[in-house]
Amino acid sequence: MSDWPVATLDPVQRLRVMAAALPGTGLVERVLDAPYDDVTAMWDDLETSVPDLDPIVRSVRILRRDGDRLRIEARQMLMPVPVQFDVELLPGWCWMQSRLYVVGMAAVPVGDDRTHYAHLEGAPWRIARLARPLMRRLVRLDVAGVERVAQERRR
Amino acid sequence: MRRAQRGDGIAVSALVRELSPYIGRICGAIALDDGDDAMQEAFIAIVRNLPSLQEPAAVWGWARRIAVREAVRTAKRRPRTVALDATLPAPTGPDSAEVIDVRATLEALAPEQRVILVLRDLEGVSEAEAAALLDVAPGTVKSRLHRARAAFRRRWEA
Repeated sequence: MSDWPVATLDPVQRLRVMAAALPGTGLVERVLDAPYDDVTAMWDDLETSVPDLDPIVRSVRILRRDGDRLRIEARQMLMPVPVQFDVELLPGWCWMQSRLYVVGMAAVPVGDDRTHYAHLEGAPWRIARLARPLMRRLVRLDVAGVERVAQERRR
Repeated sequence: MRRAQRGDGIAVSALVRELSPYIGRICGAIALDDGDDAMQEAFIAIVRNLPSLQEPAAVWGWARRIAVREAVRTAKRRPRTVALDATLPAPTGPDSAEVIDVRATLEALAPEQRVILVLRDLEGVSEAEAAALLDVAPGTVKSRLHRARAAFRRRWEA
């Protein structure tokens, strides 16, 4: 016998799995009014796009790049020292994690002009699940930022 | 593996990617059109319970057990259109004499038969192991497998 049906996980489904693994994080999904290529292009240019979409981040610098893995340094308001993140970039997928904080972004095209976008942020500890509702509110702001930056790039 | 159990996101992501082809095969063959949903539910159960896995080397068998359970649960939620022992329709189309339409044949089976077929013929699990995994008697595995294989044979010979 051959051709057995095979199931797959798209990037948004994979991010839901990550949210289950990290209960201290908040996950928000939305269909953005921006094409998939414009949304995911931001991940090729983290140094510009992250400070654009997140007002808390003052700057991002790439320290090292090794294929789909990056090491970046982010300077944030209220943080006296820069924070380093390990970054994993895959099609439709951007995962950034430091020892204290994780950020996950996933995208799947919806037709030619829209994108099913999922965004996760939070602390990677179980106890942080108490802050999940607050995280979701913060993540909604980031999702709005992602949509705005993607649309601006289009113009 | 230990890093994933401690909640290291990159390690969890790598584990999900490594297990995906295996879990996707099980969920796809059992839950068919709902295979992607079953796979997501299986992985959510896997990562939630990962910290309690005592022996990391046993992750494949442990994940298979979860995937089978979630795939059967998902498949049972979808109403079946073909009775358990119904005679399968003969395949049609220009290549039907040579190509066995695995999906159409699986669709005509009950999830309980599908899972046995997947475990025995796709995964190579023994009857005793399949019985333990599904929590049914070995005789039940044998009879369900017999009916499932007969269904495939009828379709092949049609």
